[in-house]
Amino acid sequence: MPLAYSLPTDLSPATVVNASSLLRIVALALISGAAIASRLFAVVNFESVIHEFDPWFNYRATRVLASKGFYEFWNWFDPTAWYPLGRVVGGTIYPGLMATSGVIYNVLHALNLPVDIRNICVLLAPGFSALTAWSTYMFTKEMKDESAGLLAAAFIGIVPGYISRSVAGSYDNEAIAIFLLMFTFFLWIKALKTGSAFFGTLAALFYFYMVAAWGGYAFITNMIPLHAFALILMGRFSSRLYVAYSSWYAIGTLASMQVPFVGFQPVRTSEHMAALGVFGLLQIIAFAELVRTHVSSKQFQSLLYASVIGMGILGALAIVGLTYKGWIAPWTGRFYSLWDTGYAKKYIPIIASVSEHQPTAWPSFFMDLQLLIFLFPAGVILCFRELRDEHVFVIIYAVVASYFAGVMVRLMLTLTPCVCVCAAVAFSSVLDTYIDPVEPDAVEEAETAGDGAVSASSTGISTSSGSTTTSTKKGKKAAPAAQAGPLDGLVSTVSAVVSTKKGDKAQGIFGGDTRLAVILNALGMLLFFVLHCTYVTSSAYSSPSVVLASTNPDGSQHIIDDFREAYYWLRQNTPETAVVMSWWDYGYQIAGMADRPTLVDNNTWNNTHIATVGKAMSSSEEVAYPILRKHDVDYVLVIFGGLLGYSGDDINKFLWMVRIAQGVWPDEIQEPNYFTAKGEYKVDDAASTTMKNSLMYKMSYYRFAELFGGNQAVDRVRGQQMPRIGPTLDYLDEAFTSENWIVRIYQVKKDDLLGRDLRTANAFEQGKKRKRSKPMARRRAIV
Amino acid sequence: MVPHWPRRCSLLLLSLLYPLLTSAHSFENTAVVRTIDLGGSLVQVTTTYAVKALENGATVYTLALAEREHKRTSWLEAKIKGQQEILPMESAGFDADSGVYLYSVELPQALSTDGTTHLVVEAIETHATYPWPEEAGQKDDQALKYESDLFVVSPYKTSVERIKLKSPSPNIISYSTPDGLDEFTMDVPVTKSGVTITYGPFHNIPVTTDAAFLKLKQKKIAVHYGYDHPILEVTELKRSAEISHWGANLNIEDKIHLHNAGPKLKGHFSRLEHQASSFFGRLPPHVMPSVSLHLPPDIRSPYYYDLIGNVSTSRLRVGHLPTEQFSLLELRPRYPLLGGWNYSFTLGWDSPLSNYAGYDKNTGKYVIGVPLMTLVPGAAVDDAEIQIILPEGATYVVSRRAMTDSQHPSHSDVDFFPPFPPIQSYVKTHITYLDTVGRPVVVLEYKDLTTRHAGTIYVTYKVPLSAHLKKPLAVATAFMGLFVLGFAVKRMDVRIQKK
Repeated sequence: MPLAYSLPTDLSPATVVNASSLLRIVALALISGAAIASRLFAVVNFESVIHEFDPWFNYRATRVLASKGFYEFWNWFDPTAWYPLGRVVGGTIYPGLMATSGVIYNVLHALNLPVDIRNICVLLAPGFSALTAWSTYMFTKEMKDESAGLLAAAFIGIVPGYISRSVAGSYDNEAIAIFLLMFTFFLWIKALKTGSAFFGTLAALFYFYMVAAWGGYAFITNMIPLHAFALILMGRFSSRLYVAYSSWYAIGTLASMQVPFVGFQPVRTSEHMAALGVFGLLQIIAFAELVRTHVSSKQFQSLLYASVIGMGILGALAIVGLTYKGWIAPWTGRFYSLWDTGYAKKYIPIIASVSEHQPTAWPSFFMDLQLLIFLFPAGVILCFRELRDEHVFVIIYAVVASYFAGVMVRLMLTLTPCVCVCAAVAFSSVLDTYIDPVEPDAVEEAETAGDGAVSASSTGISTSSGSTTTSTKKGKKAAPAAQAGPLDGLVSTVSAVVSTKKGDKAQGIFGGDTRLAVILNALGMLLFFVLHCTYVTSSAYSSPSVVLASTNPDGSQHIIDDFREAYYWLRQNTPETAVVMSWWDYGYQIAGMADRPTLVDNNTWNNTHIATVGKAMSSSEEVAYPILRKHDVDYVLVIFGGLLGYSGDDINKFLWMVRIAQGVWPDEIQEPNYFTAKGEYKVDDAASTTMKNSLMYKMSYYRFAELFGGNQAVDRVRGQQMPRIGPTLDYLDEAFTSENWIVRIYQVKKDDLLGRDLRTANAFEQGKKRKRSKPMARRRAIV
Repeated sequence: MVPHWPRRCSLLLLSLLYPLLTSAHSFENTAVVRTIDLGGSLVQVTTTYAVKALENGATVYTLALAEREHKRTSWLEAKIKGQQEILPMESAGFDADSGVYLYSVELPQALSTDGTTHLVVEAIETHATYPWPEEAGQKDDQALKYESDLFVVSPYKTSVERIKLKSPSPNIISYSTPDGLDEFTMDVPVTKSGVTITYGPFHNIPVTTDAAFLKLKQKKIAVHYGYDHPILEVTELKRSAEISHWGANLNIEDKIHLHNAGPKLKGHFSRLEHQASSFFGRLPPHVMPSVSLHLPPDIRSPYYYDLIGNVSTSRLRVGHLPTEQFSLLELRPRYPLLGGWNYSFTLGWDSPLSNYAGYDKNTGKYVIGVPLMTLVPGAAVDDAEIQIILPEGATYVVSRRAMTDSQHPSHSDVDFFPPFPPIQSYVKTHITYLDTVGRPVVVLEYKDLTTRHAGTIYVTYKVPLSAHLKKPLAVATAFMGLFVLGFAVKRMDVRIQKK
């Protein structure tokens, strides 16, 4: 048999096995290192700090857990959030993330490693990304082989689509959830393949962990039943499926109900009904199979199948009926917004106002996945070639996740692991084909190739490319050709890449140069992938957003730290009970950094409360003042980027406040009033009166024009020239403005001691004469 | 309150001694000059006593502090004029009638009758001034008020007495002119020249520790003066110094709670006005945008953070021995500190251990000198807790001083020599990275520290070789255990069903 290049022959099989096992361990260790290291840009460029908004709450909750213990945390009622309502934190969160950090914290402290809880929180996501890489390796190993697994692990380790949610400091549920997602899927595949109740139970336990960690657990809740259902439809029902699914569903559902925030949802809401339905269907089918083994009549069998279908339909109808009756909650708004991207904007503006809930733009697919997005379809098609049970899973996963990733930017995250797996399968197929030294012989070799195919399909996929002997390698190569079967047409397009031509001619690659060309090209692609990932990670995904960076003229980094400046000022120089009102985006940060009660925060559970804040912000001072006083507001905080050109400020978010307030008070707040007559959103002279009188506008631009010392004031975000005379405030006092004016804090004045209207009192203080209107006239009449 | 003497000194015993000490009337003050250097939170009071002995062999001179004076005074030191040597001083009790605290100073040599000497007593008062007006707008000036008693309290008769108050700025807004002093002077009792206000000279003042005198003749004086610097107070200082012999490193970490004790900000802070005034370089005196600190030389990896993370607005210029004696840190809080505002932060650095520690080959002991505090210029420290964390397993075989309040007798072997006695001191155990038995920690608690208190605490201890090796051995054992476990698990077949 001709070889393109020679292989060493004097190695014992044991040496090859051991060496490849060692290499795999080393490779996985290096991949873990790369995964962790690439997530540390944020720490190196900035500092070990908690990022963005939600992580600040998680961090705060974790601190409570670490300092007061689990039971305190479980029963934690936070009176400072959603003032004056408060929030039952223990029952309204997914505690998995905090519990994980708490366990790590306690273990480390038990080992006399007094690591700060903040550092544990900051580094949790990078740490778990290493575990994700490992679980993706395990998962892909089940799909193809170890070499594909290693590729998949390397991909998921550095792919920006996952890094975007797991850099050091983004201490969010997703940080651990992707690991749990992949590991649950791996265990499910393992349970399905072996028909083992043990792995089914393990899958259920990790499913429970996932439920405790992330609201996205519903993805697993629906993916596994969908897979099982697809297998049933394909006529692949087996006792393995039955055991795996039943053990996963029964234990997993019972366990998931232990999480207080989930409670009875698994039996009461529509999102979970698919799992229940498939569970019922499986029982019916299993029963039917059981009966079939005892009954021989063919007619009876068909009758039985009819009744199975009938019972299935009845079950479905029962679920629909229960939904109508109100026993089962219908789909939630968030769910509808997955099908109709315009739904949220119309009915739930709060959800639509979050940028990560917007539909994904095309370039972001490339930015987040780069070459993987091209390899992804190839990998999916390669799954069709063998179409074992686990391949069906990946295909379904690919289709479903692709759809969701297109609907919501945020769900790119669930697509990423699947893309990595498929791309790794495709890429390793290419490498397998071109590294394989065997060259095809003359035409008569085709027959032996057929034999090899039989042996390969009977033993399943060979374990390791490094350890296989040349004969099994050949068999493996030939296997796809023999197995193509019914999907021939679909596969042929892909296999044209892999094999030269189908039919009589032997398959394979001739010569070393072709091999070298393709392999070098492939390695070049990988190299560019690494460069791209590093670049995107360092430039786009490693900003903490609490701290901003700019560059000095000499090229050194300049840190803009206005948020923390203002929050720390609040923390150190205001009474501990001072209530701070801000838009809900900053609620968690204020609670975490300033440690002050807030009206609304990022846990947007009470729309009316948020709308109240929106109304206060968008109405005039006279209207807003009673609202502020009624809610005991001491300070109002606004974010203003006009001086620095920071575009994520409150004026740019202002229309959402108006819209949300309009949803509750359509008579008082109308969105069109905030636009100019031409329908433009302006803040300069042309701004509408309602806009200029709104509290938000006044707080943002209060004394802004004076800063320019007589020159034309310019709002650098909106590029508009501000009026020379800025707004005045009668009901609020400027309390603090940060260095670059990004955060502005106003104190709400107390009622006037003489019972005057605050506007009148202010006018009197400034020595303005009252308007000579009716009172003067009356006096004149007396004279 | 004067933390110069251990609190446990029995007041009872001293009150028994008190009549003996004072009734002697063995001295007479021929002249007393008190100079009060007014400042922000620290006021320095220097009193020079020209002493004449009335009998042979008089060695113990008694100082007296009135109740308010005593409460303010946090540093008291007596010297003979022109000499460096500090005279031993002891508390000599409290006279409940007149409310006067007495201190006895031992003169270096006994005076014979009519022998004279000049005694210089330096005192530093903390929180003796207060801002007046108590509130000031952002652009307003800052003024302080200092109130005091006129006559120097002394258990001896005084022939001539002068009290001078020196203001730090020529802007003296007002000062009080006491009346009814005809008994002691014929001239105007008070004169002002430049920044100095002089009361006196007063003649033939009787014993002023007398309750009747204090009640009837003692006068109150007050000065209202402008002050051009922010008045800083460190309300809480927690210093921990950790010694590592393996890293040849001394890590010092200060947790500082800074408070601007100037006039409270009236109205609100306007960034616009602040930016305008700092642009024109006319920052009002009560605004503190930054403070310069002198850190030790040769320091490495400094850090400055607060409760919510790193503060990136500071500059450090590291000085190197032997030419430069300190590193300069321009510490800039997150926000300018206006009157009444607080700011808490943590400041730490590493420095080479060789700059602080020495090894005595004869006794086999290490000696380390830890600076007691970092000086915040012009600031008084209200509460200070200094922890010196020694290496794991540090001991000292012979106890030189039994520590009565030690909670952990096992560490009581460690010996320490603070520059002046703390309010409370004890040794506890601190467990940090990969420790097995923990490290002895010397904890010293102080109150009302001033610039004069910035001394060095010396600690001696022994570290046996076994203690040095404890940590690497413990870690190696743990890893060995893990490997053995992995080795065993890998080779154990736990399957129920054999394939």
